[in-house]
Amino acid sequence: MEIAVLVKPVPEAETRLRVAASGTTMDPDGIKWVLAGYDESAVEQALLLKESIPGSRVRVLSFGPAPRTEEVLRASIALGCDRATWIEQPADARTDPIGTARAIAAVLTAAPPDLVLAGKHAGDDEAGLVGPALGELLGVPSFGGVTDLRWDAARSRFTFLHAVEGGTESVEAMLHLVVGLQQAWNDPRTAKLPNILKSRKAPIEKIAWATVAPHVGDGTGAPVPAKFRLPTPRTGAKMIEYKTPDEAAVALVRLLKEEAKVFP
Amino acid sequence: MPEFSLTEEQSSLRDLARKFAKTEMMPKVAECDRTARFPDEVYRKAFDLGLLNLNIPTEYGGGGLGVLDQCIIVEELAHACGGMTTTINANCLAMEPLLLGATPEQLRRILSPFCGSYHLAAFCLTEPGGGTDVSGMKTHARRDGEHYVIDGEKCFITNGPHADLYTVFATVDPERRHRGITAFSVPKGTPGVLPGKDEDKMGHRASSTSTVRFEGVRVPVDDRIGAEGEGFSLAMRTLDHTRTPIGALATGIAQAALDYAADYALKRQSFGKPIGEHQAIQMKLAGMAQQVHASRLLVWRAAWEIDHGRVATLESAIAKTFASDAAMRVADEAIQIFGGYGYMRDYPVEKLLRDAKLTQIYEGSNEILRTVIARELLKGYA
Repeated sequence: MEIAVLVKPVPEAETRLRVAASGTTMDPDGIKWVLAGYDESAVEQALLLKESIPGSRVRVLSFGPAPRTEEVLRASIALGCDRATWIEQPADARTDPIGTARAIAAVLTAAPPDLVLAGKHAGDDEAGLVGPALGELLGVPSFGGVTDLRWDAARSRFTFLHAVEGGTESVEAMLHLVVGLQQAWNDPRTAKLPNILKSRKAPIEKIAWATVAPHVGDGTGAPVPAKFRLPTPRTGAKMIEYKTPDEAAVALVRLLKEEAKVFP
Repeated sequence: MPEFSLTEEQSSLRDLARKFAKTEMMPKVAECDRTARFPDEVYRKAFDLGLLNLNIPTEYGGGGLGVLDQCIIVEELAHACGGMTTTINANCLAMEPLLLGATPEQLRRILSPFCGSYHLAAFCLTEPGGGTDVSGMKTHARRDGEHYVIDGEKCFITNGPHADLYTVFATVDPERRHRGITAFSVPKGTPGVLPGKDEDKMGHRASSTSTVRFEGVRVPVDDRIGAEGEGFSLAMRTLDHTRTPIGALATGIAQAALDYAADYALKRQSFGKPIGEHQAIQMKLAGMAQQVHASRLLVWRAAWEIDHGRVATLESAIAKTFASDAAMRVADEAIQIFGGYGYMRDYPVEKLLRDAKLTQIYEGSNEILRTVIARELLKGYA
């Protein structure tokens, strides 16, 4: 099975974000960009399928600027992906998630995979648009919020769980689809030291911006952020005075009922 | 100009070590310290991820890393636990004499199976009668046909009860002093190899330390590392390479102490403001940061010298003594900043002081290393 997995560099969860001088974006200085969250789970899912289906290969793709995009591709190779494709985005090229999907579709159309995996959305902008848009562009179904994806070889079907409003549905699907995965349900593996060292020397296929730019468009339709601000620090924490745990519990329940009104 | 930024490869190695420290080591640190438990499962996982045997070339199944790369990893691991790091790092110490003195045939025969699955090793140099005075060694190796017969006792041996392979130093002739010392590679289970009980230590309690007795242990001549009498040189050259990572280990402990103290200083209030806003605490934090930064730079410099094939006796001794003394001072200040809480075992900083102490003692006591520094220094003036 030919599996494509999409990844995107996102700021490490522990990064202390700052607002850039322009006031319209975060300050990129000092941000550590990593393969994380939903994408880690997508890579793990790709590797689990590869290990369970003989002859499978995993191709990891990312559309983004240097150098962080190359780094998440190398991290994916260190985890076990077979080949990596970097669609280079110039630092000044404006785009939006639909443009990203168009760039990736342009590359995948040349060698269509059997399955495209991605995080259900990226850990930074959480737009969740690239997967569904890519499904449309490739003309295949797409699902988001997926867990427990398996391949039933005897019946040539995928089975997976799909989070929907108010519940979870079990789905069966045939080959050729785009799947957006939930985060951390499959305990993503850690790359081993020798594989990290090997990944530094692995070749990365580069697709020049000029190749995909006609598909992406000039970005004039992409939304322009007007203002970027950090969440305001929360206030209003209330400390409960108590002598015994029982007393603390009684006071807490009273406050939850009478002040927070979370209980009737 | 010197280059102080890490390569992308080094950043990746640091990230791996940091993740391992956080997810695999940290949850067990307090428990292993309290109960002196040897967390075999942590060391197994370290092996699985390639964090054991960092200095062994890749052709024999090791990490193939230079000393600077090792130091970057060791500092991150020690930030979580000095004791666990000592266990993990002991394989590098025990195998270094082989890397320096073994034949290609010995390296293939001994190192390949050793690195092929989870194994620990022990470096057996120190004896009850002396650690620093190596040339006064009592453990004796008597030639008997195609074998040597080793008798004697080693003490303070890291991984003693858990090692699969012992690198043993013994003298073929006590009269020849350091020129009689010879190195051997001895597998666990060889009749007469008798590890003692775990020592109850002040710190590094997740590591295991014991005596190892050798009673009539027959070792094939093929398992002698280097020539007869070459052992002293092998041991000293080994320590020139491995004491720089001990400086990194101390730096990791010191960085942890600084991190805990700075975090606490921002949270703990006195006189209506965080104690970090009082100058008394600021002076302490500033001094701690100076010590940590200087330690790391000295360690990196010594590692750089070794990686460039230079003899770094002076630089490694300076890095190890400075970083270990700094770790003691910084951990001490961290406890002071925590006040009464710092003295309590429920808080993490008193362990750092206990762990830091060993770094002043092992892999060359800071006293003998200062004489080494002076000797090397004066060569430049003579």
